[in-house]
Amino acid sequence: MNSWLRGAFLVASRDLARFWRNKFWLAGQVAMNVADLVIFAAIFRGVVRSELIPDYIRFITPGVLCLSIFISAFSIGREVGVELRREVTHYLVSLPIQRSALVAGRILGGVLRGLIYQLPFLALAVLIMEPPSLVEWLIVVYASVSLATIMSSISITLSTATRDFNLQAALRSITYFTLFFVSNVFYPEEALKARLGSAAPIAYYSPVSMATTMYRYCFGYAKSVDLVFNLAGLGAWLAIGVVIAYKLYLRNLIK
Amino acid sequence: MGSALRDVLIVMQWDLMKLKNQKIFLAMRVTWFVIQVLVFARAVSYIVKRAVSELIGVDYYYFYLLGVYASLLYSTGISRGYIVAEEFDDGIVEYHLSLPVKRGVLAVGRVLGSALSAVLFTLPMMLFVMLIVGLESPSSISVSTVLVSILAAVLFSVSIVGFVVLVVMGVRSTDLTDILMGAVDAVLIRLSTVFYPLPIIEASGIAPYYVAAALNPISHFADFLRILVFPEYELVAKHGVLPTLLYIAGLAAGLLILALEYYEKKLEAGGWK
Repeated sequence: MNSWLRGAFLVASRDLARFWRNKFWLAGQVAMNVADLVIFAAIFRGVVRSELIPDYIRFITPGVLCLSIFISAFSIGREVGVELRREVTHYLVSLPIQRSALVAGRILGGVLRGLIYQLPFLALAVLIMEPPSLVEWLIVVYASVSLATIMSSISITLSTATRDFNLQAALRSITYFTLFFVSNVFYPEEALKARLGSAAPIAYYSPVSMATTMYRYCFGYAKSVDLVFNLAGLGAWLAIGVVIAYKLYLRNLIK
Repeated sequence: MGSALRDVLIVMQWDLMKLKNQKIFLAMRVTWFVIQVLVFARAVSYIVKRAVSELIGVDYYYFYLLGVYASLLYSTGISRGYIVAEEFDDGIVEYHLSLPVKRGVLAVGRVLGSALSAVLFTLPMMLFVMLIVGLESPSSISVSTVLVSILAAVLFSVSIVGFVVLVVMGVRSTDLTDILMGAVDAVLIRLSTVFYPLPIIEASGIAPYYVAAALNPISHFADFLRILVFPEYELVAKHGVLPTLLYIAGLAAGLLILALEYYEKKLEAGGWK
């Protein structure tokens, strides 16, 4: 068990080290997320209906927390895809660690990337919104860890689905559009109900909606939310995501 | 001259033939475009104040639809860069160099072929947008509107693919191309009029943002489509329809020449490695 854990952590720490190597990418992504907040604050805030969203910057900040996790945790999938395409996987399976530890390490690598990248945005959220209480911080940590694990798992699943470079990029984009556009990140429930009608509830089952709702509650934007539904829903997404990523990655490693 | 033209057409045909193998990719692109148009655009237009539509003279939903097509064509043009980068990785460039075709002809054929592929690839989405606009305002859409839009799309696409070829040749790495193109893609779309009209960006008081949006080729192409479909939008756009078209055509010609120069010089003797 100890050697299994050590193997998984070794793989995860290697992935984390590689994350810091892409300094320009990281700087670009952080700048982009901050730019989003500035653009939303400066422009979109003034054009949205205040009776629906009184303060758009406070409304969107929890969504940016989810976005930051998506960007960073999803980067692990890009690397897994490159490795499969270039058959670096042969080297990986020859390492003296169990394959299950290797897969777990890759997922963990994505999770760590997501959590570390999100930290400055959490600090920003505290500044823009209200600081959470101790219990609320625990919920924030649960939401962040769960969402990072889900995103890391989905990205690995998608990257192992095809070796085509272009198709992998397209899959990344379609996942982003589906998860974020069919969610409550950019617009409130009223807008979804008005535009999607009876299909609106689909958005509430998105892991991004669940995490956003929890962040909105913990940072004082939403006063009453269905915590049990969101906590359990995110847990279910996590369990399913990890199992599928684990099975698919393991299968494609040795194929 | 005749044989050079024939060679250009053959190289272009090679690019166009590859579209046949991209059915799954096209299906995915159409799917996410439909989500963007039917979910995101509709929900966002719901939360935007009516005053915005009154200011620009066009319903924000239709304003956004034409903008999002411009951004889609831009992203598709950028994605052609991935294909070119992959060809460098897979060694297909060596095969290209062995063809009895001049380097310049090869470069022009690749840029034009990729540009035309990008337009054909996004044509269903353009027609979908035109259909939605036409259902609401039938007088706005005519055959000539669609044909001029396609022509402008080809010119815009040539400039994007020309730019991408320059980047791929300069960076010489698929990984770095992926990262760089992703960043450029996101930055240029944000700093454009895809989401917000110029007067609103100007009113925000962020001068660099306004300047970037006013100069951005995506803004010019999006605004050209908007003026073409809704002529009253010309009062809101920074430039008229002709200057905008000249800007797009000039950019396409300039970047095509640059790509041609760069391609010819860098390809020889393994200079891309």
